Amino acid sequence: MLEIKNLHVSIEEKKIIKGLNLLINKGEVHALMGPNGSGKSTLSYVLSGKDKYEIDDGTIEYNEKNLLELDVDERANEGLFLAFQYPMEIPGVQTSFFLKTAINSKRKYLGHSEMDALEFAKLMKSKAEELNINTEMLKRDLNVNYSGGEKKKQEILQMSMLSPKMAILDETDSGLDIDALRIVSEGVNKLRSKENSFLVITHYQRLLNYIKPDFVHIIADGRIVKSGDYSLALELEEKGYEEISKSA
Amino acid sequence: MELTLNLDKIQSDNVSKYAKTILDKQNPYKNFKIENYKYAQLHRDIKSETLLRDIDISELLRISKNISSLTSNPVDLASDLNLWKYKNDDSFFRVSSLLKRDTSSINLDLIDDKNLFLDISQINENIHFFKSSKNVINLIIMNSKSNDEYPKSIFFDISNNSNLNVIHFNISNYKSFLYFESNLQDNSHLNFVSFQSDNIHTRNEFYASLNLECNFDLFGLNINNYGVNDNYSFIQHLKPSSSSREIFKSIVEKGAITNFQGKIYVDSIAQKTDGYQMSRSLLLDDISKANNKPELEIYADDVKCSHGSTVSKLDEDQIYYFKSRGIDSEMAKKILKKAFIAEIIESIKDDNLREYSNNIIESLLT
Repeated sequence: MLEIKNLHVSIEEKKIIKGLNLLINKGEVHALMGPNGSGKSTLSYVLSGKDKYEIDDGTIEYNEKNLLELDVDERANEGLFLAFQYPMEIPGVQTSFFLKTAINSKRKYLGHSEMDALEFAKLMKSKAEELNINTEMLKRDLNVNYSGGEKKKQEILQMSMLSPKMAILDETDSGLDIDALRIVSEGVNKLRSKENSFLVITHYQRLLNYIKPDFVHIIADGRIVKSGDYSLALELEEKGYEEISKSA
Repeated sequence: MELTLNLDKIQSDNVSKYAKTILDKQNPYKNFKIENYKYAQLHRDIKSETLLRDIDISELLRISKNISSLTSNPVDLASDLNLWKYKNDDSFFRVSSLLKRDTSSINLDLIDDKNLFLDISQINENIHFFKSSKNVINLIIMNSKSNDEYPKSIFFDISNNSNLNVIHFNISNYKSFLYFESNLQDNSHLNFVSFQSDNIHTRNEFYASLNLECNFDLFGLNINNYGVNDNYSFIQHLKPSSSSREIFKSIVEKGAITNFQGKIYVDSIAQKTDGYQMSRSLLLDDISKANNKPELEIYADDVKCSHGSTVSKLDEDQIYYFKSRGIDSEMAKKILKKAFIAEIIESIKDDNLREYSNNIIESLLT
């Protein structure tokens, strides 16, 4: 599904990712954990294709395609999804309109006809209910005056409606209370299948109690320093980043 | 180019010394330094190679009743010309249009339709509208394919307790210079929306005079323009407790210049005035220009007045967010432009006209 080899990335001459390797197969859930400034968010932006990031070396293969050659919207339409840590506010654009445009852009890209208004409304309603989102909220402007929790739920709603093959969750747990965390995690778990893969980026082991990963990786100073199964997350919680990184 | 006027008329009629002074000293076609006209570039002959689009608004608005079929009465030139009620602000357009053209009056109370359509580009005269009934009337004023260096005036006299909605479509004009004057009597309301698109050299002046407890809303939109397109407003609050709300938005690209100058004047007795003015421009490239000049002139001490002005670009991070959801950048930009101007379309009071206008603007947006 996704294979990153020897990735080196810098921003404004500053090296952030320094030789990162990662292989995510179909159906797997990987967690990426690391301290502030270790390169977690940079990796997520590079995967989604945000500019300003300089790829100095390495390759990223996604679904047998060279990911780095695809534009941001092409990557999304090929099934890559990034749930943002800080979703943008878009005044003047209704959330439901945004969702509909996104869904129809993907359908157009894949050569399918547009989804009609009724079909879309049904899909949105059922997905919103799953995530315990009030559909009234979807009539408001996208992320404008949404609470931190509402913004994160909205990202997960977008994800579940676009049903990506490869989803990257960038610190989706930050700013969520326990109830919201459970709801969001359930939304993610509903999407898990043999066909879909996830990269869950987080500081805390707490999220992984809800979304059980197949693999856990520790990132430090732009490289993965240790990989293991779920027990690594528990070990990390006990010992902290510094000690784990040292022992690696 | 110099504006030549019919001098016979100036001598034969009882033209004030004031009017003569304006023509002589305040002629922006000769003198480009006059403050109120300083961005309009009336002394230049601005042209564009572009062939302007043909857009049939009346069809799109589904309005059949054309007001030009109604009989209108001529208005006495001298009384209109000398009846200058605006403080410390002179309009060359007003004076020159009254001297150059005849003026007809239309009494809106005599019309039983709710929606009226008038294509002013087909009329050579100034028009003076009167409204005194309480009926809701939506007056749609269309100006298209004009190529006329002479200013034209449109007056609105709204009596006590009356109200009027005006939608002005100023679309695909080579040259068009319009003067709008609205006089609101006590407890009257005027909602005025001006859509401007695909123009080469235009200026619209919006003068409004507010008496006791009346309300004036003025919304302007300026898109897809070429050359120089200029809006000037002067809103004066003469009596207590009136409110005015003014929002102008422009999207400027392809080397066009869009200007907004607006003043709110509050007389010393006009306590409890509530005035708001905002002009926002979205600049899409670095060869285009937006000039915004907001002004307040307040002589009363118990008023609420605010103004603001912004010039911005499309937000790259917002475009990235759209693209990250599979929406290509062309579509993302169109949606963001639409979002920027939505507030102006929303200000139309009539549900159907708002929907039709929205469709028109959507089709005009590039």
